[in-house]
Amino acid sequence: MSIGNAGDILTLRDIHLRFAAVEVLRGIDLSVAQGEVVVIIGGSGSGKTSLLRCINLLNTPSSGSIVIDGETLFDVDKDGVDKANLKSAEINSIRSQTGMVFQQFNLFPHMTALQNVMEAPVTVKKQSKAEVNARARAILGQMGLDLHVDKRPAQLSGGQQQRVAIARALAMDPKVMLFDEPTSALDPELVGEVLKAMVALARSGMTMVVVTHELGFALEIADRVIFIDQGLIAADGPPQQVLLRPEHPRLKQFVGRFHETADLLRPFLEGKAATTK
Amino acid sequence: MTFDFTVVTANTNLLWQGFLITLYYTVTTIVAGLVIGLIVGLIQLSPFRPLVWLGRVYVEFFRNIPLLVIVLWTYYALPIFLGVNITKGWAGFLALSFYVGSFYAEILRAGVQSIDPGQTDASTALGMSYGQRMRRIILPQAFRRMVPPLAGQSIIQMKNTTLLSMITVPDLLYQGSYISSFTYRPMEIYTAIGLIFIIVLVPLTLLSRKLEKAGAMAK
Repeated sequence: MSIGNAGDILTLRDIHLRFAAVEVLRGIDLSVAQGEVVVIIGGSGSGKTSLLRCINLLNTPSSGSIVIDGETLFDVDKDGVDKANLKSAEINSIRSQTGMVFQQFNLFPHMTALQNVMEAPVTVKKQSKAEVNARARAILGQMGLDLHVDKRPAQLSGGQQQRVAIARALAMDPKVMLFDEPTSALDPELVGEVLKAMVALARSGMTMVVVTHELGFALEIADRVIFIDQGLIAADGPPQQVLLRPEHPRLKQFVGRFHETADLLRPFLEGKAATTK
Repeated sequence: MTFDFTVVTANTNLLWQGFLITLYYTVTTIVAGLVIGLIVGLIQLSPFRPLVWLGRVYVEFFRNIPLLVIVLWTYYALPIFLGVNITKGWAGFLALSFYVGSFYAEILRAGVQSIDPGQTDASTALGMSYGQRMRRIILPQAFRRMVPPLAGQSIIQMKNTTLLSMITVPDLLYQGSYISSFTYRPMEIYTAIGLIFIIVLVPLTLLSRKLEKAGAMAK
């Protein structure tokens, strides 16, 4: 493959995405190395979720190329000529090498947690049920869900559902995990348990691309933070640099809001500390 | 004005024969209609535009023409168009099946489209093909939601079979009008026929209510 470095598990080149008259992505280049954790931030409507959905072709870009671990998933030039020309079976096969976690969990409500996790390995990869069953239980165990394997999504809390969703994606042995605002739909007290599972996953060496507003998580675990603005990458660098010493004016404004919240909270936190003394 | 139900009891044989015919057309046209509805419904959900359009034309055609017109047209006009003979039984069967099939197709399409797009996202992201997604994820959820409207449409279908009497298929209503033609007691006869439909359909309506509740619980 001519594009992408040897160590890159994911390479996007000049991705454009157009919905009717609106150009949502205007030329995104992004390479993610094996084991790297990349956090994507940006305001609403900036195109960050669209970009994530392009990586596994849930959104089909209007042009650009996508290579996952040396395999071309998508390659359409500016004139709309499809140079990859893959069959849908080939796309599904490459797509199954990425795992995705959604804001709204999107668990299958007619199946138990265990069946959710077993579904794709059995249906897509045709692995033996007994083997998948054991592995699915082990992964759910890692997510701290031993007691909930036979429950339906409706019987689980949001945090538990999201951890089942992570387990479901991991059961396919993905090369990259994609997270689309995985904690945004959660009650505040449930955010921690999902972030903890994601931190553990990152430390285990999983390659991750995470769209999130949890800047604390980004500072803690990201190797790189990317700021998307109006369909373009406006900043790309280590978290300390991007989040604590922002240079791009819109990034300053964006990160500033989080600093303001922290500043607002500080006196209350200190005040509370004073009264409890 | 007094009711004299002896005209009914004296002709139970004819009414029973008519009832069996009504039941026969109800069951066969519902089964055929479900097959048609499944095919047309899936066609309407396919990503291929001309097919979607074709399905749409079929559905709107049969949903917007009175069933009586479809029945009469199939029996009297279709043979002329096609240059073949169609028995009244076949004409009635075809008209009723294609009519109810259009309603079933709409129920299927609406049922599938009511499923959260997130379900398609999640199953697609896992690498499932269109067929796998439909079979394993979308249709099992959609069918649960489709049970109450399917039951409702099927109940209407049983009542609609009475239109077959217009092309002299000897169903319950046809036998009724035949009996009244020589007993001159239409009041008793048609009252009895109405009661027969109530006796058969009310339990089915109650059953469909129960299914609806069970479906709501399973959500």
